[in-house]
Amino acid sequence: MDTNSKFLNPRINNGGLVHIDMQPSTTTSSSDSAAEGGGEAKWASKLLRECAAAMSEKDSAKMHHLLWMLNELASPYGDTDQKIAAYFLQALFCKATDSGRRCYKTLVSVAERSHSFDSARKLILKFQEVSPWTTFGHVASNGATLEALEGESNLHIIDISSTLCTQWPTLLEALATRTDDTPHLRLTVVATTAAAKSAMKEISPRMEKFARLMGVPFEFIVIADLNRLGELTKDALSIREGEAVAVNCIGALKHADVDERRSVIEMMKSLNPKVVTMVEEEANFSSNRNDFVECFEECLRFHTIYFDMLEESFAATSNEKLMLERECLRNIVRVLACDDKVEEHDSERREKGRQWSERLREAGFSAVAHSEDVVDDVRALLKRYRAGWSLVLPAEDDQTGIFLAWKDEPVVWASVWKPSK
Amino acid sequence: MQPQEQLNHSGNLFSQLPITKSSDQLSQWVEHVTKQLIDETDDDPAALPSPIAIDQNDAAMSSLTVLFECAVAISLDNLGEAHRMLLELSQTASPYGPSPAERVVAYFAKAMSSRVVNSWIGVCAPIRVDFKAVHAAFHVYNNVSPFVKFAHFTSNQAILEACSRHPRVLHIIDLDIMQGLQWPALFHILATRAEGAPHVRMTGMGSSGELLLETGKQLSSFARRLGMQFEFHAVEGRFGDVPDPSALHVRRGDTLVVHWLQHSLYDATGPDWKTMRLLQGLGPKVVTLVEQEMSHGGSFLDRFVASLHYYSTLFDSVEACEEAERHRVEQWVLHREINNVLAVGGPTRSGEDKWRRWRSELAGKGFVQMGMSGSAMAQAQLILNMFPAGRGYSLVQGDHGTLSLGWKDTSLYTASAWTWPNHHHF
Repeated sequence: MDTNSKFLNPRINNGGLVHIDMQPSTTTSSSDSAAEGGGEAKWASKLLRECAAAMSEKDSAKMHHLLWMLNELASPYGDTDQKIAAYFLQALFCKATDSGRRCYKTLVSVAERSHSFDSARKLILKFQEVSPWTTFGHVASNGATLEALEGESNLHIIDISSTLCTQWPTLLEALATRTDDTPHLRLTVVATTAAAKSAMKEISPRMEKFARLMGVPFEFIVIADLNRLGELTKDALSIREGEAVAVNCIGALKHADVDERRSVIEMMKSLNPKVVTMVEEEANFSSNRNDFVECFEECLRFHTIYFDMLEESFAATSNEKLMLERECLRNIVRVLACDDKVEEHDSERREKGRQWSERLREAGFSAVAHSEDVVDDVRALLKRYRAGWSLVLPAEDDQTGIFLAWKDEPVVWASVWKPSK
Repeated sequence: MQPQEQLNHSGNLFSQLPITKSSDQLSQWVEHVTKQLIDETDDDPAALPSPIAIDQNDAAMSSLTVLFECAVAISLDNLGEAHRMLLELSQTASPYGPSPAERVVAYFAKAMSSRVVNSWIGVCAPIRVDFKAVHAAFHVYNNVSPFVKFAHFTSNQAILEACSRHPRVLHIIDLDIMQGLQWPALFHILATRAEGAPHVRMTGMGSSGELLLETGKQLSSFARRLGMQFEFHAVEGRFGDVPDPSALHVRRGDTLVVHWLQHSLYDATGPDWKTMRLLQGLGPKVVTLVEQEMSHGGSFLDRFVASLHYYSTLFDSVEACEEAERHRVEQWVLHREINNVLAVGGPTRSGEDKWRRWRSELAGKGFVQMGMSGSAMAQAQLILNMFPAGRGYSLVQGDHGTLSLGWKDTSLYTASAWTWPNHHHF
């Protein structure tokens, strides 16, 4: 695959580059203020959106001009504006040079090679220490799951999530300290990525040991022979007679191909679970996937909030923060610079709570509100973190689930579902 | 109760490095590889030597190899390959990592990334710089590292010696005055001489008029407190762009000194040939020059190799500093310079080939070198004694009277003094 032809610069003549001594003359007001050394806040968002628009309108000169400005001002090691500019610039560059697919594959392979179980786990735990971004979903889901499985003695939790089991120790603890007899817990974890599969090898013995310590009769199963969530079948899960099934789906469905999501949810319904807990980040890169500008704006909106949150949660020179920021590049490139025909089935197209709710209802699930107790637990959780976080309860009738909000922007959605009568 | 976690630093491959060991390994290995690269260039530029087996699993060293391969790709205009390799590097090397090698790779990768993008776009012009922030960072650099003070004090000494014949008026032109940190020390010595201070006129140049005026105010107020007669002229712009000497407020009868502390933060002077022409036109009594021992000329690969060697050494030299200050210097001074050298500089961008070494050019164009004296050497030694890592720095007296300050075996900054034989009196 000759990628270099895409890199032949349309503007080079005589083998040299155009050198400009003065400030560019064709500037918009945002570019002028950006040229004042980035004094105006949110300059990155303006330049990026203008560039995306120019790209969409095939206005080559304008696009080049904006890419130049972004390239000069961006830095992955600067302030939030500079970081956002740096990562989105990379995605725009990939798109402009038609190298999105190749870049995405490179990013995936680098991630697989450079992260070890220890580093991935340490990263998640550090993130949980400074931000409720992931623990929000854990607390909401564990609470709802425990309530739904109350009184049952044979529990089977099917875990389809990205959290490397960091959510389960708390649940095991809760089961162990129940006043009635400790139930038997079967935990089936579904791993579809290479990283998750190899992590599970380390996690299995730890989980079993922990359950033993807690005195909870425990069985831990890993389903690792799938490449995509769509391949998961009811049979593979070996549900036993008399088991109370709970499906825990945290941050995993967004990785499924958009066209497969329906069948995955229908498969979940076929398990006849007592409860389904679903948590996803509140962003939509799915329904707008054929409209570059709209998708770009949504992607920018979401990641700007995320980066802002990271900046305020971690120390300035935190390596963990850097790793989390860098992970975003894969998602941004995938969503903005690749068409959907990439072989890897990791679609990374998030959907909002409203969209997931529609899918769940279509498949025959009804929403259940989180109980007062669980809401109280979530509120208590948020109090443990720095200011800026809040809990948003559904306001309208058709809204389901609860939201974690950062500076009043809903960022994570947690919901509970039961099969409709 | 959570399962126990194993803990070390950042968790990626780089953190496996034993920290103290890698500090000088980096510059040693870079030197080894660059020598080989230079020797091998005739044979096969694409074939790279493998790293010294200091530590087989040394992730930082293998990243450096990828960085080299990337530089070769860029020099061969193979932007697609370069971009791919840079994506890799930019996902793994961290500028907050525990080893200088990793941090160097992180900053170089960012600079080369910028270069790939602006190569593709086809436009290269540095956007306006935040000089205030750059100067502030340079100030921190001055505090944690002896190089800037070395430049200031050895130059001041050379100026004092060359002007020992009680000039009535001393006119100093500072080609990039910044915050004027150098001058109070000189003023103090002049003002406390038995014979009293001469009238001092200063022409300060820089890219921001506003900041120049601020510097002028500070220096004027300092001079006033010393009871010294002082005049400050701000000239905004680059020295090489100045059309003729009169624009610099030179006057007949003044003893003229031109001072130039070279750096790579931005282009302070403009085209070299113009700068030289103006210097000749000025015909100063003294030119004090402090150069970075890094060639700014040549092809991209030449500059890459030179700057990698140079900055690796600098990173090694600041490794022992307090972490927050070290980080600030690395990010705001060294990273800026690396970016400027690799992403912005070079003949295909500025349209001109920078000279490799100003000392050689001055010697060839009519200037006569004056040796840096024993007193200058003593000044330099005093400065080194102020710094805790003093034993790693090396002070070397060079041929023809230059004075170089470096780290271990590598010279980093060289001070020299020159005179124009028939120096003009305007």
